[in-house]
Amino acid sequence: MSEELITVLDWIAILCLLAGALLSVVAAVGLIRFPDLLSRMHTAAKPQVLGMLLVLVGIGLRLAPVEDTNVFNVGTLLLVGLFQVVTIPVAGHIAARVGYRTGRIRQDLLFRDELADRLASRRDGGDA
Amino acid sequence: MIDPSAEKKARVAAFRRRLGKVQVPIALGMTLVWMLLFNGFQWRWESLGLFVLGFLVSVTIMLVFPLPPIVPGFRFHPLSLAHMLVHILGKMFTASFRVTAWTLSPGEVHSSVIGLRMRTQSDLMMVCTAIASSIIPGTVVVEVTRDEWMLYLHVLGASDEKGIEEARADVMRLERLIVRALGTREDIDMLEAAHPSGKERG
Repeated sequence: MSEELITVLDWIAILCLLAGALLSVVAAVGLIRFPDLLSRMHTAAKPQVLGMLLVLVGIGLRLAPVEDTNVFNVGTLLLVGLFQVVTIPVAGHIAARVGYRTGRIRQDLLFRDELADRLASRRDGGDA
Repeated sequence: MIDPSAEKKARVAAFRRRLGKVQVPIALGMTLVWMLLFNGFQWRWESLGLFVLGFLVSVTIMLVFPLPPIVPGFRFHPLSLAHMLVHILGKMFTASFRVTAWTLSPGEVHSSVIGLRMRTQSDLMMVCTAIASSIIPGTVVVEVTRDEWMLYLHVLGASDEKGIEEARADVMRLERLIVRALGTREDIDMLEAAHPSGKERG
C-alpha cells in the first residue's frame, strides 16, 4: 500500500478511536447523572456499544496495513464485535427485568407503564 | 442380567440418534468462528486442516451439549440483510446522538414502558428483534412473554403519546426488516397478513 493511503487510514482510525472514547465518556456521565436503574441501563449499555464498535473499526484500520502479527487480526476484532453485540442485550435484559420486578424503578419518571397493567391483571387472574 | 452386546448396541443407537440431531448449518457457523479465532482465512495448507478440525470440534460440542433445533429455521435474503444492517447501524448513530443529548442536558428525562405484540410467531425472529432493539440506544427490553408474543420495552425520552407511537413504529419497522432478512416464507407471509397495507410505514 502507498504511504498516502496509510496516512489517510491512520487519520480515519484516529477519528474512530476518538469518537468511540467520547461515547464511552458520555456513557460514564450518564451512569452518574440518571436517577434510576432503567435510565442508567440505557447509557451503560448503549453509546458504549457504538463506542466499542468505533474503537474496533479504528484498531482494524490501524492493523490492516501491517497485518502480520498472527495474534491479533481483523478476524479477532470481528469476533469481539459480534460477541459484544450478541451478549450485551442478554445481560441488559436480565438486569432490567430483575430491577423492574423488585420495584427498583422510579414510577414518577414513567409517563406510561403497560407492563404494570399486565402484571396487575395477571395477578388478579391468579387470585380469582 | 443385561446382555453386554445388547447394551453396546443400545449405546450405539443412542449415539446415532444424537449424531442425527446435529444441525449442519450451525456447525458450519461454529467452524467459521473457529477459523476467525485461529486466523484461518489465508491461502495456506494449514487452513484446510483448521477447517476440518473446527468442524469436528463443532460436531463434538453439539454431541456433548445437544440443544433443541431452531424451528422453523431461517433463510438468508442477502439484499434485505444488507438493508437491515444499514438500517440498524444508522439507527445506532442517530439514537446515540439523541441519548448523548439527553445525557448532557440538565433536567429529568421521562420515559415509558411500552408493550408490543410481535406479528410473527417465531422464536428466532423474536430474539433477533429483541437484540436489535437492545443495541439501539434508547430502548431496553424489560420483559418478554412467549405465550402472548409480547415484547415490553423501556423507551428513554418517550414522555408523551407522540413519542410512544414513534417508538412503537420504530420497533415494528425493525421487526419487518429482520423478518424480511432472516425469516422463512411462512414468517414473511405472517408479517404481510398482519399488515396487508403496510400501514406502520407511516
